[in-house]
Amino acid sequence: MIWDALQLSMLVVGVTTAIVGIIGLALAYLLAKNDFRGKELLDAVLTMPLVLPPTVTGYYLIVLLGRRGLVGGYLYDLTGWTLAFTWQGAVVAAVVVSLPLMIKAARASIESVDPNYEIASFTLGKGKFETFLRITLPLAKRGIFAGLVLSFARALGEFGATLMIAGNIPGKTQTMPLAIYEAVAAGEERQAQILALILTAVSIAAVYSTNKISRSRIYG
Amino acid sequence: MLTVDLKKRFEKKGETAFRLDVSFAVENGFTVLTGASGAGKTTVLRLIAGISTPDEGLVKIDSNVFFDSANKIDLPIQTRRVGFVFQDYALFPHFTAEENIAYGVKAGNQKTKIERAREMLALFRVEHIKNRIPREMSGGEQQRVALARALASEPLMVLLDEPLSAVDVETRLKLLDEIENAQARAAIPFIYVTHNEAEAERFGKQRIHIQNGKTID
Repeated sequence: MIWDALQLSMLVVGVTTAIVGIIGLALAYLLAKNDFRGKELLDAVLTMPLVLPPTVTGYYLIVLLGRRGLVGGYLYDLTGWTLAFTWQGAVVAAVVVSLPLMIKAARASIESVDPNYEIASFTLGKGKFETFLRITLPLAKRGIFAGLVLSFARALGEFGATLMIAGNIPGKTQTMPLAIYEAVAAGEERQAQILALILTAVSIAAVYSTNKISRSRIYG
Repeated sequence: MLTVDLKKRFEKKGETAFRLDVSFAVENGFTVLTGASGAGKTTVLRLIAGISTPDEGLVKIDSNVFFDSANKIDLPIQTRRVGFVFQDYALFPHFTAEENIAYGVKAGNQKTKIERAREMLALFRVEHIKNRIPREMSGGEQQRVALARALASEPLMVLLDEPLSAVDVETRLKLLDEIENAQARAAIPFIYVTHNEAEAERFGKQRIHIQNGKTID
C-alpha cells in the first residue's frame, strides 16, 4: 500500500508539476504583460481553488469533466473514456489546485523585472519571445522556481478534489494523502505514520528551499 | 536628415492635461536636446524610438519612415533600428559586458557576435571588463558598454537620455569626448538629452530646447 501510493503520487505530482510549469508560466506572462478586459476576473477565477474547499473544486471538476459532465460527456460519447476514477483525473485535480500558487509567484516575479530591460532588448531588434526567454525569464527565475516548488508541494498534498474526481482506488488513484486517510480509518497506524512523515519531510524541504531561493540575491 | 513632428496629450486625473507638441529637423550630426526636468525630453526620445506612440505626427530619418499618422505608419520598436542609451543604462544584469554587447549584434553566430563585442570593447578601451557583469562596473564603464551595445546593433541613429548624470565630473569630460568621437565614426544622428548647461554649450552646434512640452527656437 505504501509503495503503490508513493509511486502513484510521484507519477501524478511529476506530470502535474510539468503541466503547471508550462500553463502557469504562460498565464503568469499573460497577466503580467497584457491589459485586457476581464484580466483581474480571470486572475480571480484561477485563484479560486486556493480559497475554495477542495471538495467544491472537485465538485466543479465532476460537473465539467465527469462522465456526464459538460465537457466530459462529449468526451465519453466520442471515445468511451472518462477522466473520472483515473490517475489522469488525479492530475487534473492537482493541476487546478496548485496552479494558483505558480501563477501568483511567477506573475509577481515577472512584474518585478524592470521594464527598461525589456525595452532595451526591443530597441536592439529582439522580438517579444526572444526577449522573454533571454531577458525576462532569467531575471524572474527565482520567483518562478519558488512558485514551481510550492505547486509541487501543494500537488503532493492534494486530497479533496482528487477524492471527488478520481476516487480512492488503491494502486490506481490512491495517492499518499488518500492512503493516509484509509490507513487511519483502518487502524493501520504504522502505515499512516510512515506516509505522514514522508509527506511532512518533503513539504518542509520544499517550503524551506523556496524561502532560501527568494531571499538570496543574485544580481544585486 | 532626421525629421520629427510629435503631438501627444497626457491626461492625469485632477490635473490639466500635459500637451507635448515638438517638431524639429536636424542634420546627421550631433544634436543636443535641452530643457528643465519635466519638460518632456525623455518623452520625445521614447516617442522617436517607438517605446510609446504619439497621437499624431511624423518621424523619419532620410527615407525611412518610422511613424506617420497621416499614412497610418507605425513601425514597432524592433524594426526602427534606434540605438537607445538609457539614463540608468539598462544593461542586462545577468550578462557580462561582452554578452551585453553581443546581444545587440545583428548577424552571425554566437562566436562572431562575441568577436564583434570585443572589438567594440577595444574601441572604447574597456577590454579588461569584458567578463564583468554590470554590478561590477563603474558608472563610466557601464556608460561605455551601453553605448557600445547600442552601436553594435547598427542603428540608424542613437538617442542618449542624460547618460552622464551618474558619472563624476572628471570622467564626464572624458566620456563626452568619447561620445563625440563615436558619433563622428558612426556618422549617424546622435540626440543627446541633458539639462546640464555646460554639456549643452559644448555641443552647441545643433541645439533644441524644450519648454513645457513645446520646442523653442
